[in-house]
This record gives sequence, structure tokens and C-alpha cells, in this order.
Amino acid sequence: MNIPESAPSDTDLRSWLRARVAHYVQLDVADIDTTTALTTYGLDSVYALILCGDIEDHLELVLEPTVAWDHPTIDALARHLEETLAQGSPSGESR
Amino acid sequence: MKVTEPLIDTGQVDLAGFDRALGDPADPAALLSFARSAELDRGERFPADICRELDRMGLPSLYVPAEFGGALTRYDELVAALRAVARRDLTVAIGHGKTFLGGVCMWLAGRPEQARELGADIIAGAPVSWGLTERGHGSDLLAGETTATPEPGGGFRVHGEKWLINNATRGTLLCLLVRTRPEGGPRGFSLLLADKRRLPADRWRPLPKVPTHGIRGADISGIALDDCPFPADALIGEQGAGLEIALKALQLTRTACTALSLGAADQAVRLAEEFAARRELYGRRLVELPHVRRVLGEAYAALYAAEIVSVLAARSVHTLPEEMAVISAVAKSYVPTRVDELIAACGELLGARAFLTEVHEHGAFQKLERDHRVVGIFDGSTFVNQHVLINHFPVLARGHQKGTADEEAVGRTADLSAPPPPARLDRLSLLARGGCGFTQSLHTASGELRAPASAGEVPARVAELAEELTNSCDRLHRELALIPPASQDVQPEAFALASRYEQCFAGAAALRLWLHNRTPGEDPLWLEAVLTYVLRSVRPPGQPTDGEVFDRLFDARAAGRPASPPTSVVTW
Repeated sequence: MNIPESAPSDTDLRSWLRARVAHYVQLDVADIDTTTALTTYGLDSVYALILCGDIEDHLELVLEPTVAWDHPTIDALARHLEETLAQGSPSGESR
Repeated sequence: MKVTEPLIDTGQVDLAGFDRALGDPADPAALLSFARSAELDRGERFPADICRELDRMGLPSLYVPAEFGGALTRYDELVAALRAVARRDLTVAIGHGKTFLGGVCMWLAGRPEQARELGADIIAGAPVSWGLTERGHGSDLLAGETTATPEPGGGFRVHGEKWLINNATRGTLLCLLVRTRPEGGPRGFSLLLADKRRLPADRWRPLPKVPTHGIRGADISGIALDDCPFPADALIGEQGAGLEIALKALQLTRTACTALSLGAADQAVRLAEEFAARRELYGRRLVELPHVRRVLGEAYAALYAAEIVSVLAARSVHTLPEEMAVISAVAKSYVPTRVDELIAACGELLGARAFLTEVHEHGAFQKLERDHRVVGIFDGSTFVNQHVLINHFPVLARGHQKGTADEEAVGRTADLSAPPPPARLDRLSLLARGGCGFTQSLHTASGELRAPASAGEVPARVAELAEELTNSCDRLHRELALIPPASQDVQPEAFALASRYEQCFAGAAALRLWLHNRTPGEDPLWLEAVLTYVLRSVRPPGQPTDGEVFDRLFDARAAGRPASPPTSVVTW
């Protein structure tokens, strides 16, 4: 898969993730720290599955819905997504 | 009736023969009779003899996928078989059917030889139980405190209690959700298969049977494990994957559980019909009273709606596995709730007879009413399932707007003339990322009704109902898009939207079912009744529903005219 030219940069991706998480937990973006476990903000494990759909749409990737279980902070999630973008999506498919 | 040859076996599932062999419950000599069920219920005794007979008929092989040695190739057949048992006695269906629930995690995640071994035990009649819940933690699986500590030489040491577990004591084997990381979390739980024949007897004990309001004979109990050693090969799937596997398994078990409600509804309707036909009041038979006809006609419509959702959900395991997170939640929330209402309505017709424990088929009605109460509670309560649905609101709204539905797969689900393709359990997903095809394709479906309606082949009012449903579903999705995210406290309004969504799903499924199975010249009376039934709950206030279609439905059934959807299989 080719990385689109407009692929979000590291900081873009982090701030986008922060904004999404802030939206879901109904907090101010400034209150979301990228090194803190998402569950701390009340984003419970089952609800965290919904993030997958958002990220897939945003980055045009196919991900495991449990991606936020295995990468439970914004930093960890961003790192994983950057690696995935660099390699093409995990199953080798793109949408 | 004694059966020598199994009716359900690998490569051969004789559902009609199975149903016949179960007999007429009004006949005290039948395997499952109202008389025998009442006696067992009064004594709070487990129907062990009946379950043994079901084993002989081959029912357990329907709990095991064919690839692991069983007869399960179609989930709609599993629903039909469980419904046939539940129609006679819900306690028996719950006590026996639990083994399917106990096996599902293995079918999803076990090693092939491990799964075949469990399959062989099940077919030989070993009950298998599923231990998820604990004292103090019901639906909150991540709060579970039963701990499995990995041992240096391999294997685990398990400590804790699983409680309110169906068949915990009778079960030869139990699939247990245990904490394998002290801090827990979504990767902190695993599944272990407890084989009581292999565990040291001094390290586990059954917890006493808990007395219950309904299903009094069922073995609702628990198991306590005291640093009990488990072999390494007891692990099902990967360590840490327990929650993920269990949540996928629930998509299958919740779908199967709707069969229990259908059976209860069949029995409630039968008891009410027979009473209304026989009973005389003020010189007239009860069925001659307009109110009684209306109530029974509505009950048929409710049963059809529930049945369509249940059967198409079961077929969706084969055709729309990626959507099962939504479809199974809808089915498990919708079907038991509608059937609870149906039972209440039938109970009002029966009057005192719904309350007496010895008259009218040995008090069958009050037993079924008590027994069915548990279906909306176990395997994820209505609240829990609506919560799953509410979590999906953002993807449902997005999918509806984009219209990404796989129309062909929706069609294959609804077209009963073809057997469904093999189930792809590996495609089950915790997130129905594209939303739901049935509701997304309502526009196409109601569009397909327009031409036959203008040609006069279909009554115009049916096309109008389909149009109204489509508009209502669009309006609902606009509301879903606006509701604040439900990560924390879910507002009561969200549950009301979930209920409306379920009704839209039921209507969409009914419409699809009719479109893909219709025969020329057929009166779509059942469709009109189901759409009317569904729309009544989603109409804005101030738009009353004309219930006259329920009277026509009653008259058609009373006159023996075909008026049932093609999903109906009741043969008694």
C-alpha cells in the first residue's frame, strides 16, 4: 500500500487522537495526556473498540478492533499506527 | 417414546423427526409433558431423565461444529432444535442447551485436537458449563477475581469462585474466564477448560444450588477452586485473549438463546389459543369477543417479529459475521423483551388460569412465565445488550450515511430457499465497523415494493408501511449521529433510541424476508402485521395505530389460511 502524500505527521496523528479521545470521554483536549492509559479517562475497554472505526476512517487502514487494548495510551497507539502505516496495513490490505 | 437411532447425527439433522419424537406436551406419556414438567418444577428437580433421552436423540451433536466431529453446520438449525425443546419445557432447554454455551469458546479459539476432544465428550453426553460470572460481579467481566497464576513448570494454579453458573455442578467440564494478570485489564484474562475428571478432588468443590423464581429445576450453582492445579493444555486460545474470545462467543450464544424465547412464545400462544377457543363467557366463546381476537392477532405479529429477528440473526452468522456484534445484541435484547410482553398479554387473556399452579395443563402457563424471566437476564441482560448497541451508535450512523451495506449478503441471509454458506467464525469481530446491512438497505427494499404495489400485486398500504419504516429509520440514524458519546454514563434517552433501532431492524428483516421468498399472488398479510406492529413503537406520539390488521391476521389463522412467515416451523 502506498502511503498517501497527505499522511498525517507524528504530531498531527497524536493531536488527532487526543481530540478523538477528548470527544469520547467529553473532556477538554488540554486534559488528555498522551502517556496516560486511556482507561484513566473513563474510556472503558469495550468502548475503546469504537476508536478503531475512527482511526480506520482517518488513516484508511484496516485494524484489529482491539488495537487500543494492545496499545493503551495515545503515545503507544500513535507509535503502532506509524509503524503500521510505514509497513502497509497488518493484513496487507487497504480500503 | 424411546428412540434408538439418533435423529441428529453427523451429516444428518432430522429436525422434523426430532420435533415429532419430542411429542405433544399435553400427552402425559410424551417425553416432555406438561404433567412431568410441573412435577419436576414443584420438586425443584433437574430433568435428568429427559436430558438423557435428548442425548440419545443426538441433540448434543448439534452443539459441536461438524469440523470437530458434530452435526452443527447451520446455526438456524440449532435455533430450530432449541426452540422445539423450549416449546415444551424451558427448564429442559436451558439445562441441556447450556452445553452449547460451554463449548463455543473452544470452537472459536481452541487447538483443533483440543476442540475435537471436547466435541467427543459432548457427543457422548458430558454436560459442559461456562463460568463467566462471580459473586458481586455479574456482567462486569473485567472485575472477575478468580485468578490463574502461571506455574514455573507450565500449567496454572487457579483460585477463586465462579457463581450463578448454569450446570456448574452437573457439568463434567467448565470453560472458565480467569484473571491471568494481577492488574487485569482487557488482556489480563484467559480461558481455561476445567475437566473435573482430571482436577485433584480436594482442590475444588461445587457451590450449592441457588433457589430461583423460575427454572426451579435447573442447576444454577457455582464452583470454588482452592489453588487448584490446571495442566498447561487447559488453556483455550492465547493467554490474555480471554475477554476477546468470550465477547465473540457471546455473539453466538446470544443469538442461540433467542430460540428459548421463541419456544416460550409458541407455548404461551398455544395455551391462550386453546383457552380462548374453549372457554365460554356470558354465553359466548372467548374467541368471539373482539378484544380477544385483537390480543391474539397482536400476539401472532409479535411472535413473527421475534422469530424473524432470531432466524435471520442465526443465518447472519454465515452471511454477515462481521456484523454479528450488532445483530446478536439486537436479537438478544429484542426477542426476549417482545416475548415477555407477549406472555403478559396472553396471561391477561387466561386470567386466573395464568396464576394457578395445577389447572390448565398442570399450571404450564405460570411456569413458563416464571421460566422465561431468566432469558432476558442471562448471557448478557437486555441492559448489557442495549449498551453494546449504544456503543455502536457512531458506526451505525456513519455506515447508514455512507450506505456501505453488502446487499448481496443481506439477500443471502433472507433467502431461505438456499442453505447458508459455511459459517466463518474467524470473521466475527468485536466491532461491526460498517454498521448494519439490514437497516442500511431499507431504501432498496422498500423501493422494490413500489413497482408491485403500483401494479396492484401488493396492497398499496404495505408499500406505504415500508416507506414509513424507511423514513423513520433515516430519522433515527440522524438522531444517533447527534447523541453524545456513551463512554461513561449512558443517558436514558440512548436506551430509548436503542429500542427504536431494534424495531427498525425487525421491520427491515421482515421486509427482506418477504421480498426474497415471496410467491406470486401471495397475500403479504404477515408482513403487513409485522410492519404495523414494529411501527407502532417507533411512531411519534399522536399517530395512533389502526390494529385492524391484527384482526385479519387472527381470522386468517383461525380459518387455517397460510398467514405465517416462511421462518415458522411450528408443527404441533
